[in-house]
Amino acid sequence: MTQPENIDPPKWPLKLLRLFLNKEYLEEIEGDMQEIFVERVAQFSYKKARRIYAWETIKLLRPILLKNLKRNAIFINFAMYKNYLKIAWRNLIKKKAYSFINIFGLGLGIACCLLIFMFVQDELSYDNYHEKGNRIYRVIHGWEASDSLNRKASTDSYWVWGNAPIGPALKNEFPEIDKVVQFSGRADILLSVDDKLYQEDGVFFMDSTVFDVFSWKLIEGDPKTALAAPYSIVLTQTTARKYFGEENPVGKLLKGSESAGRAAAGDYLVTGVMEDVPANSHFRFNALLSLNTFRKSIPEIFNNWGYVDIYTYFLVNEQFDERKFNAKIPAFVGRHRDGPDSKYVIAIESLKNVYLRTDAQRQPGETGSLSNIYVFSIIGLFILVIAMINFMNLSTARSMERGKEVGIRKSIGAARGSLITQFLGESLIIVLLSMVVAILIVALALPVMSDFTGKAFVIQNFINWQTVPFMMGVMLLIGIVAGSYPALILSGFSPVMVLKGITKSNKGGVNLRRVLVVFQFSLSIALIAGTIIVYTQMNYLLDTNLGFDKEHMLILDYNYDEAVNSKSEVLKIEMEANPAILSAAFSRSVPGSYFPNAGTEIQTPEGEMKMMGQPIFQVGIDFINHFGLELVAGRSYSREHPSDSSKALVINEATTRQYGYTNPADIVGKKFSQWGREGEVIGVVKDFNYTSLHRTIEPLTLPFEPYASRYLSLKIKSENIAQTINEVQRVWSQLAPHRPFLYSFLNDDFDRQYRSDFIFRKLFTTFSCLAIFIACLGLLGLATYTAEQRTKEIGIRKVLGANVQNIVLLLSNDFIKLVIVSILIATPISWYAMNKWLEGFAYRMEIQAWMFLLAGFIALSIAVFTISYQSIKSALTNPVNSLKSE
Amino acid sequence: MKKTKLGEFEELVLLTVAGLQQEAYGVEIKRELEYRLKDRLSVGSIQSALKRMEEKGFLTSEFGEATLKRGGKRKRIYTTTSYAHKVLNEMKDIRAGLWNSIPSSIESLTPELKVI
Repeated sequence: MTQPENIDPPKWPLKLLRLFLNKEYLEEIEGDMQEIFVERVAQFSYKKARRIYAWETIKLLRPILLKNLKRNAIFINFAMYKNYLKIAWRNLIKKKAYSFINIFGLGLGIACCLLIFMFVQDELSYDNYHEKGNRIYRVIHGWEASDSLNRKASTDSYWVWGNAPIGPALKNEFPEIDKVVQFSGRADILLSVDDKLYQEDGVFFMDSTVFDVFSWKLIEGDPKTALAAPYSIVLTQTTARKYFGEENPVGKLLKGSESAGRAAAGDYLVTGVMEDVPANSHFRFNALLSLNTFRKSIPEIFNNWGYVDIYTYFLVNEQFDERKFNAKIPAFVGRHRDGPDSKYVIAIESLKNVYLRTDAQRQPGETGSLSNIYVFSIIGLFILVIAMINFMNLSTARSMERGKEVGIRKSIGAARGSLITQFLGESLIIVLLSMVVAILIVALALPVMSDFTGKAFVIQNFINWQTVPFMMGVMLLIGIVAGSYPALILSGFSPVMVLKGITKSNKGGVNLRRVLVVFQFSLSIALIAGTIIVYTQMNYLLDTNLGFDKEHMLILDYNYDEAVNSKSEVLKIEMEANPAILSAAFSRSVPGSYFPNAGTEIQTPEGEMKMMGQPIFQVGIDFINHFGLELVAGRSYSREHPSDSSKALVINEATTRQYGYTNPADIVGKKFSQWGREGEVIGVVKDFNYTSLHRTIEPLTLPFEPYASRYLSLKIKSENIAQTINEVQRVWSQLAPHRPFLYSFLNDDFDRQYRSDFIFRKLFTTFSCLAIFIACLGLLGLATYTAEQRTKEIGIRKVLGANVQNIVLLLSNDFIKLVIVSILIATPISWYAMNKWLEGFAYRMEIQAWMFLLAGFIALSIAVFTISYQSIKSALTNPVNSLKSE
Repeated sequence: MKKTKLGEFEELVLLTVAGLQQEAYGVEIKRELEYRLKDRLSVGSIQSALKRMEEKGFLTSEFGEATLKRGGKRKRIYTTTSYAHKVLNEMKDIRAGLWNSIPSSIESLTPELKVI
């Protein structure tokens, strides 16, 4: 009490009080607190008084004494929001056409984005389900190029497929490797039980460690031992059902045919059933045979560093350091190379990268394309941007109509902030409605999408904790981006000016709209031009003369069956006896199918024998004539030369260049040595495309080896194909009753190599159509708006004598100029981008000017067509009607 | 009685205000009650009771004088309304009736409660 000025209560509780306490009570309570504090100081110590003061303050924070803003605010805002909603709804209803364009266009854009997002998510989800996935690596095998320095980084010449002994060697020499799992190349085998007989194409001979490394679940059987013994087989659920129905197959026997080059025929004991391999796996199979079957049948290749038929994956421990491991690889390879000249090298790839980020060849399954993911994401974004621009354009264009509303709201006392909230809220409502439309479109489009990509999309897979926030985020983002410009412009109007009726000519808005329209159309035209180029290139691919006959070629696949090969002469005679069959030939490979590689020694022009590697097609005697291959030098195999069966070799032109010959005729008669055979080169065939046109024609040898065949090709007449197939089947079941009759057409098989290109084309076409459609929706909206704005002008012009053409031209002029500017912008961009795409093809057509002209013309005519509807309508209106409406 | 609930503590505060007349402001009410109840009370409990009763119409208030020891802040003087008097009287009658219904032996055990 003595020195009241010096003894102040603590500061922070007072601040707390002032912050939270109801303003009406503050003075009284502050005073009370002060008075009590002063008494307390007299009574207790200063410190204790302060402590009590703070404690009392906290106890003052009771609901009844606190600021009561909430109750009032809710009341006011509720009415305000209700009004906002009402106005938003009325605006939607009043201008049905605009609302439709906005909601439908935006919905379409969002739907495209969602579909593409699903596709991308699916591609990125490959192999993620393996629990130890981040510790799984695989070996890829390569050969050091002579100019090793500048090619070291690239693995596009590496093979995933390689030798067997590397697996045990890795396991023994690297303590950081926990488990190694090896498996054969994709094998074919004929499996039967009772009367059920199927050719299984997707099987692997697999190490018993597979279930330790990969997270595939075994439903029946012991994961440790299931694949340990020779002749054990683990079936996937689907395969098990195929052979055994609902019975438990474990312990039953499946009769297996010989699997060429891997295992002798025998009875396989079913030791397990596993869940089907998920669709998002980089390789898939129907059944696993134990690798020990392979080991038992052909043990020598498991010690041969040169024999290629094994994939090697391995699991590392937690301490694994990829960089340190890579540093140890050269020494490891050095210990195991065949000799000092060997160029053999290896590299490792993480499981994370084996689907999208690998360029190695001879993959165990399909790979995805990272660049396709980028292309689709970009296209999806383009379409969304086009749709958003529509929205922005229409909202800003119509902003004047709402000027009065803004003026009145402002003069009543609306703050700029609440107006921004209002307009952003309106755009969010439109986005929300678009989202509903988008989800409907996605639901309708999913089956089509599955058709496109060959993937089964199920919408349930995409409703998860990742996609829902993603979609909310997208909605919010679209709403804010698309709505912010109109919101800022509208809320900035000066109420006095607007209410007086002075609408300042919004030049900036007009220019912005023009820029946005040009942007939209540039994107659309670029997409159209891209589509034209993709189409032309694909037609070029399909129509190019590949150098062999691929039409009406029926291919029977009997998978190296020895019994069939031993009857090949009879089969050929029987087949050719049918007048519908023009010729028949056996071979190990047909164009577009799998082929092995071989090392071949051929005399060079200098006379020395030189060893080179190249693909090899082992063929029957008539292969060259049958496929219509053109001989450029020498002769083909012939029955008149019995020695052809072991001492002759036909090669392609590329091989002559490989060995240093410029004139193909010079190589004829030179010595060769290949796979234990020696003799002379007897002929050279013109280069033909035995792989897809993505790749150039590489050297190829065609040795005569009738008993190593896998395929019987039949050239048939184009009439009555179904009947011919029936007749072929009849002959087949007489002569080879133990083999199922599997046939296909060569052109289908060959074109299957372009599967991903076809998908690309389809998607490109669809999305560019959508893009131009959405852009035109926007254009229609703008044209309608402009025409409405100029109703009076048109009326006056008509009264003064303007005819319909004048007015149509007047209204279209502006937009047509914009489209022409867009053509000029889009052309170089799409030229550049498509050139990049074409670089992926060894054989490609030239990009020509007409493609861009056509794209521009298409865009222009669609735009003119869109605008003309509206401009002709306005031009035909009776001026009396437009002028009297004041 | 049905509509307006007057809590036990509120009733005490209300009676204090009625008793203090012109002196009935926050600190004085607190002091008086603490003296009567022989217990410490927090500012918060007094204030919330006052505000609640003001809302229910038992009390009205107006600003009084500011003093130095209040840091220049004005007092708020509370006055009971006629409605409060009516309710207080009703309460008293109800209690008296209840007390009368208790047999006399028990009544004599707790004579001091009659003070309130």
